Amino acid sequence: MHRDEILLGTLYLLILQTLARSGEMHGYEIASSIQRISEDVLQVEEGSLYPALQRMLIKGWVTAKWGTTAGNRRARYYQLTALGRKQLDAEMSQFERVIGATTRVIEAV
Amino acid sequence: MIWLGEFARRFRMLIHRREFDADLEEEIRLHIELRQQEEFQSGMTAYDAQAAARRRFGNTMYLKEESHIAWGWEWLENVAQDVRYGLRTLRKSPGFTAVAILTLAVGIAVNTTVFTAFDALFLRPRPVKDPNSLASIFRTTPGEPRGGFSYPEYLYYRDNSRAFSDLSLFAFGMAVTSSDLPATSPGVVPRVAGAVGFQLPQLLQGSAQPIMCFFVSGNYFPMLGAAPLLGRILLPEDDQANATPVVLMSGNSWQRHFHSDPHVVGSTLHLNGAAFTVIGVTPLDYLATASSIPDLWAPVSAKIAIGTATRQELENRLVIAGFPMGRLKPGVTLSDAQAELGVLAAQLRTQYPEAERNMTAGVASGRSNLAALDSDAWPVVIAAMSAVALLLLIACANVASLLLARAVARRKEIAVRLALGAGRWRLLRQLLTESILLGILAGALGLPLAGWMLHLLIVEIASALPSFWGTIALEINPDIRIFAYTLFVSCAAGIAFGLTPALQASKADVNSALKDDSTAFGYRLSRSWLRGLLIASQMAACLVLLISSALLLRGSQRALKIDPGYNAKSVAFLEMYDPKNLHYSQSQLLQLNRDLIHSIVSLPGVRSVSQASRGPIGGNRWVAVARADATSPPHSTGGGETPLAGYSYVTPNYFDTLGIPIVRGRTFTPREADGRAHVVVISEATARRFWPGEEPIGKLLKIGSEKGSTSFPGERDPFVASSVVIGIAGDVRSMDLRRLDESYLYLPLSQSRQWTSILLVRADGNPTPLLPVIGREFRRVDANLPVLAAPLNTMVSMDPYFVVSRIGGVLASIVGALGLLLACLGVYGVVSYSVVQRTREIGIRMALGAQSVQVLRPVVTEGLRPILFGVALGVLASAGVSRALSATLFGLSPLDPASFAGVSLLLIAIALLATWLPARRATRVDPMLALRYE
Repeated sequence: MHRDEILLGTLYLLILQTLARSGEMHGYEIASSIQRISEDVLQVEEGSLYPALQRMLIKGWVTAKWGTTAGNRRARYYQLTALGRKQLDAEMSQFERVIGATTRVIEAV
Repeated sequence: MIWLGEFARRFRMLIHRREFDADLEEEIRLHIELRQQEEFQSGMTAYDAQAAARRRFGNTMYLKEESHIAWGWEWLENVAQDVRYGLRTLRKSPGFTAVAILTLAVGIAVNTTVFTAFDALFLRPRPVKDPNSLASIFRTTPGEPRGGFSYPEYLYYRDNSRAFSDLSLFAFGMAVTSSDLPATSPGVVPRVAGAVGFQLPQLLQGSAQPIMCFFVSGNYFPMLGAAPLLGRILLPEDDQANATPVVLMSGNSWQRHFHSDPHVVGSTLHLNGAAFTVIGVTPLDYLATASSIPDLWAPVSAKIAIGTATRQELENRLVIAGFPMGRLKPGVTLSDAQAELGVLAAQLRTQYPEAERNMTAGVASGRSNLAALDSDAWPVVIAAMSAVALLLLIACANVASLLLARAVARRKEIAVRLALGAGRWRLLRQLLTESILLGILAGALGLPLAGWMLHLLIVEIASALPSFWGTIALEINPDIRIFAYTLFVSCAAGIAFGLTPALQASKADVNSALKDDSTAFGYRLSRSWLRGLLIASQMAACLVLLISSALLLRGSQRALKIDPGYNAKSVAFLEMYDPKNLHYSQSQLLQLNRDLIHSIVSLPGVRSVSQASRGPIGGNRWVAVARADATSPPHSTGGGETPLAGYSYVTPNYFDTLGIPIVRGRTFTPREADGRAHVVVISEATARRFWPGEEPIGKLLKIGSEKGSTSFPGERDPFVASSVVIGIAGDVRSMDLRRLDESYLYLPLSQSRQWTSILLVRADGNPTPLLPVIGREFRRVDANLPVLAAPLNTMVSMDPYFVVSRIGGVLASIVGALGLLLACLGVYGVVSYSVVQRTREIGIRMALGAQSVQVLRPVVTEGLRPILFGVALGVLASAGVSRALSATLFGLSPLDPASFAGVSLLLIAIALLATWLPARRATRVDPMLALRYE
């Protein structure tokens, strides 16, 4: 099955949106969730999630704390902060602007 | 404040980074396992599931690093790694490290010391209120741009200038005696001066001690905004002709002489016999605008009471009274002040055309002591600074050459690291770190070294000066800015030379470096001839310095052994300190002489005591002499030039006391002396000069001229139109230690009329143990009389040529030895380099059966060639330099074979050792190991 690379720069948006919808999640859940909701079209190179999460931690968009999974494994759970929510809004409107513009260009043909 | 929180998070990560890495690792492991589980459940084999999970995750190692780098501490971790690695590398070659650090540390320390001292002496703002608005005024005449003013001139400027809100006068200092001072402990023997071989006459213990008093105008302290520690400062009303005599005591003197007793304020102090009231004490180390701290400060008007100036002298426009310093009014610039002073000077010239001829006034900033450096001092300062800057340059060059040599050994290491994928920039950074580490370690050693040198320079030299000259109170901490600057320079040099080979090596073709092409036959670095030339010139420079120092030191040693023509070993020289200060009458002074001679001569161990108007060494008075019967000038001098002779008025027993033989004729009788008979004893050389081949006894000599001479104001030169020669004394070296005097005359001294400050005491043996006993006699006779004393044979150190050759010799040997050390390190480096380069060649030769000697020879020869070339060059240059030194060698040949051959051989021997040590390694090359490099 063909899988599309996610659009450059949208990884933060996807993670932020995923966390906004589901509250607390660990890395694997975030990756699976993005994949499932996009019906397997958007495929994160799963590893690249982690550097991105680190950068988001630095920016203060998410916080992390250790918890246990359903399978009783130790996992790091990420949660959106107020700052992250603000960032999500900003990224969302920017994304919509870009998509809208792209769409207009395409439909103008 | 977002960035602040962000920084806090980053910082927290730095602190907990081990934990952080473990967390990330666990997180990633969980992710892969969960994915694997899911794939497995969807029907894959366990093996495939694992592969798929890993594939979908991506490069674990890379992503882990990415996550780590995201926190932005990579640079710091790299630096830490580089430092660790650098320290390990440096520790692995302790010889290189020690030498490089030491070399740089010495360079840094010497520079920091000299520039700090200069800064402290001349650049630092004066420690007074608002030093920037202070200005010094100089009396400028053709030939003397920085003269002082007479007192009436000062008053004129003070009263008529509008540019200054205050114009004060610093009117010099004067050592005075006080009978009210508690006895002080004996001074510390100056260690450094003693080690170099100087023995200045010291104050005789037990006799009275003089103290230093500076004179300033009444507005001086208020202008500087001085605050007293106790009591009050000097005020304008203290500086009036009829004011109560008062003095201000320095905090240092208060501590030293009065143990900080607060009751000193208000007490009476007798200075040269006149009573003064102490009105206050300045804070400790308070310098005002002086360069040393006196014991006392007194108003200018007090000079008359103390006896250092008469009222006539103070009112005389031709007698220099001191240096004015003023405070400019706000908004007035130096050039405004200059313009105004020019007008005032012109007015003075019109009013007093005779006294003020050619005079004008110059102004300079009074912020620091810089204006005190006159045009004569600048070349000395510049020479000293250039010399130390050169030392830093040599140090840097040497570290550079060490690094160059080492780079060869590291070519392979660098090639291996490149081959393993190290980034070039990363590699450069590593080498950079090593260079900087060297610099920092050198700085860490150099800073305390500089502190110690400054201490040596200032404290020790200051302690060599008699305490009554004033207290030196300089800030003696190394200046951090200068230290940072020299550290920066040496680091920059280290970086420049540490990186050059690194750049080259990192550019090198990895393959060829790994295959070790560098050791192929016949391979030569094009730089090698340059390095040879560097070494040769370094060696030549060292040799010039060392031969000069050997000549100077041997010369000054000879000076100590020279027979001056008199018995210097068992005679003590005593000189009473400026007794005019005591206001004694002539009859009191004569009685003083008689009492002193009487009490000293009766001491056990004393043979005789003589008086003389000047000592037998360091004479600096001349008088014109001529044959009284001659119509034409004597033949010995061409042209119309009058022959000059040194002279001294002496008592009849002078010749016995000093062991000067009377070779013909006789000495004076006491009757002749008291009757001022016109008789003279002349030296043999004088007899030869005026009556060659004739009998000089009974001949007549004209001494002095009718007009008299004005070259030595204060003391009238003798004038005798016709004096009978009654005796011929042995020749002495009095005027100049380097040769027998051309002419010396002994005139009869009348003990009933002439007072002398000088006494000469002949002891049975070494006079040194007698000095304290004599000091007690002085105190018994007159407690107010300070006396300088020294055995005559130590006074050679006052001869200016001895001073030049001793100090010059010591300095040249220090710099020369440092230079030699550096040059030898250079030799060592070059030879090590050549051995490393030839490892393969040597291995093959040894495999073919070469003996150690055969292997050693080319290496040693190559090392020695620039050395021998340098030595030859150095000997030639030294021969030129030593000609210029010949004046100070006390008869030692400027081409003294012992100095030339001895120093050259010593230098070659040391250089040979520096060659042989690394060359020896060549014989230890294991042929198998060397060949296996292939």
